[in-house]
Amino acid sequence: MNQPLAGYAPAPVTARMDNHGDHMLKVAMQTGNDLLARVGSMVAYEGFVQYEPNPPAVRQIARDWVTGEGAPLMKCSGDGLLYLADYGANVVVINLNGDGISVNATNLLAFDAHLTWGVERVKGLAKFAGQGLWNTKISGQGWVALTSRGKPIVVDCGGGEDETYVDPDALVAWSPNLKVKGKRSFKAQSLIGRGSGEAFQMAFSGQGIVVVQPSEDSTDRLRFRG
Amino acid sequence: MAREFQRGHKARISDLTAGTDLYVGVQISGPGLTFDISCFGLDADERLSDDRYFIFFNQPKSPEESIQLLGAQAGDTESFRVTLDRIPPRIQKLAFTATIDGAGQMSQVGPGYVRIVAGGEEVARYSFNGSEFSTERAVMLVDFYLKDVWRFAAVGQGFDGGLDALLKNFGGEVLEEEAPAAPAPQQPQSGSAPGFAPPAFATPSAPAPAPVPQGFTPPPAPAPVPQGFTPPPAPAPVPQGFTPPPAPAPVPQGFTPPPAPSPGSAPNVHAAPTVIAPLAPGTVPPPAPAPAPYGQPPAPPSPGAPMPPGYGQPPGPPQAPAPPPGYPQAPTPPPGYGQQPPFGQVPGQQTYAVPQGAAQGGAGVSAALQKFKETPTGQRWTPQNSKLIRADLGMGGQPVLARQGSMVLYQGKVDFSYKGAGFAGRIVGNATGQEMQLMRCTGNGQVFFAENSAHLHPIELQGDAICVSAESVLAFDEGLQYEVRRIEGHGIPGGALFTMQFQGTGTIVVKTHGTPVVLPVTPTTFADCNAVVAWSAASQVIVSSQVRMRRNAYPGDTGESVNLQFRGAPGNFIVVQPYEV
Repeated sequence: MNQPLAGYAPAPVTARMDNHGDHMLKVAMQTGNDLLARVGSMVAYEGFVQYEPNPPAVRQIARDWVTGEGAPLMKCSGDGLLYLADYGANVVVINLNGDGISVNATNLLAFDAHLTWGVERVKGLAKFAGQGLWNTKISGQGWVALTSRGKPIVVDCGGGEDETYVDPDALVAWSPNLKVKGKRSFKAQSLIGRGSGEAFQMAFSGQGIVVVQPSEDSTDRLRFRG
Repeated sequence: MAREFQRGHKARISDLTAGTDLYVGVQISGPGLTFDISCFGLDADERLSDDRYFIFFNQPKSPEESIQLLGAQAGDTESFRVTLDRIPPRIQKLAFTATIDGAGQMSQVGPGYVRIVAGGEEVARYSFNGSEFSTERAVMLVDFYLKDVWRFAAVGQGFDGGLDALLKNFGGEVLEEEAPAAPAPQQPQSGSAPGFAPPAFATPSAPAPAPVPQGFTPPPAPAPVPQGFTPPPAPAPVPQGFTPPPAPAPVPQGFTPPPAPSPGSAPNVHAAPTVIAPLAPGTVPPPAPAPAPYGQPPAPPSPGAPMPPGYGQPPGPPQAPAPPPGYPQAPTPPPGYGQQPPFGQVPGQQTYAVPQGAAQGGAGVSAALQKFKETPTGQRWTPQNSKLIRADLGMGGQPVLARQGSMVLYQGKVDFSYKGAGFAGRIVGNATGQEMQLMRCTGNGQVFFAENSAHLHPIELQGDAICVSAESVLAFDEGLQYEVRRIEGHGIPGGALFTMQFQGTGTIVVKTHGTPVVLPVTPTTFADCNAVVAWSAASQVIVSSQVRMRRNAYPGDTGESVNLQFRGAPGNFIVVQPYEV
């Protein structure tokens, strides 16, 4: 009866985090090696896994999490296999291995709890009074899973002499050592209702990568303080 | 009626067609990739003993012309003519392969197929797509092999090296097999062919599923000769710290790990090697597509290597991976959850061992993201993946018109400005609903377009025309002419349907929700007017609504009210998306 479904059985565990298909993340949980995941992203688990919403340590940092309703995290601990997904978004698994990555809060699915992480304000965008892009910077030795609406693309910024400009709505993650600044491309005529639809971009320069999704998330990325 | 083949399927060619003069068409493509498609004529030992039977772009036919390379035609990337009854008896197998020329990997390949056409009729088709492969750079697509009669097998086996590694595979083993006596003519390289583990390929077509550990199975069975591999080639040339034989490094290579590369092991465990067999607990020792050396710190951080020492012990996991001593004997299969006890007995919990090895093809951010890299090519329009397309404004010199807000990224100096439809255009647009909110991208640089994860399809027009519904247009070259076209018919609410017709020379990018179906226009081609995305403008559109008096009066409406019927000469097509707007 379930022969056609047999092909979707989980593959043997080979790593802490692994993709199951394009859209699901499989995490091999282990006591003492906790996981921070986006609240509500669990779709299934096997074994003994416990979920703590907003553990105290996180809450402290989450106070800085201006997003408020943005992307609260839960702490998962225990032993077993945990499956996470986010509304069918593509999941990208990264083994950081000492590197760092700066991720949009909405694109963060899960990461190892022992990684160094913090919410930071993107520098260089201060000129937009009262606005700022907030994102999560993660670094250390461990695993991170990102989500992307559609298969992402990775662009190497060091390639050209020009800066790379990204629509903030499509931005997923970037190397933290890139220089970021804002760019307004609207002209006077856009103010009278004839914009090109591309009013604001983020410009990256330096050596590093930018991850972009093929979709412009409608969720509010440019978060307002207060 | 074409018979659909799946990977691993086999059939007698005489069952498919009575003819022996066959056309073999291969369609394979991927964004920015070019392919070399070739045919190897192999002898009974699976060797390319006569290199005149290596049919490729430099040698388009065999001496007696039984195998000929025909080039791209009829929608196929490459095609061959194979006259089975003229193939000399020493050639017992024809292996059709495709290799990527230049950078790229097989997972980027779009849907493709191999088909056999006999007497103008397609009799067999084996379809594949990139999701079946990963980092391989070549694939063995199908085999024709002689076992009593000629047979056809759909192989679909990825292969890690390029064309020369393939050659080495087929010829280089002559060295191992027949010692220094007869080195293959074109192989100066020794048998240390890197990066390959051959038998996985051979066995699918082996009729006797239990190859004898030594020698051959009786007739022409292309049995893998397990002896052949002396220092078993690890698929990735990783300088691994340990030598034990059969450890394919844990690179997620799609090709099946060699079924029985270890000299001493019993190969018949793997009767059907085309799939990575989930290892039953009993079959632990020999094959192990294991992420081999995890837990072994000194391995180098090359792709597929385990994590470097630093990560070995995350802060305080009580059950760290077992130290090397506890390591049974080189490659253990991954301690699959629930499949077998974890290696090296951990105190406390033992059901869920967490391997710390990297299976993702290396560690580090850039390694993990390698597969999402931008694809380089020198074309004006380059699909990056199915949902993202790059336009190089510097090439061709004309601006691009795109739907407002569809830019996700650009490099270089690009200016975006509003593109109005003009007064008349707005009146028409408003009245017909075929209105496009456009922006003009000018300058010099690369712009990436995407919208809402919709699938994108660049269609190149060369003087011909295509009808596209306005909401399905993502971007197009400014040189194209477009106008609103009206489809008349009875029974349409509002009196008529409208569409945009694009004409001229240039590229238009059409977006669809989901993977579309492209249908050839036949005398009976119908489509729901809400799901049809585009059609070639040469076909004639007729509205065929199912009018039933009772449709609106009683329940039981099928919900399919207005259908469009398409008529036209062969060669016309329509594009339908799995989504009704």
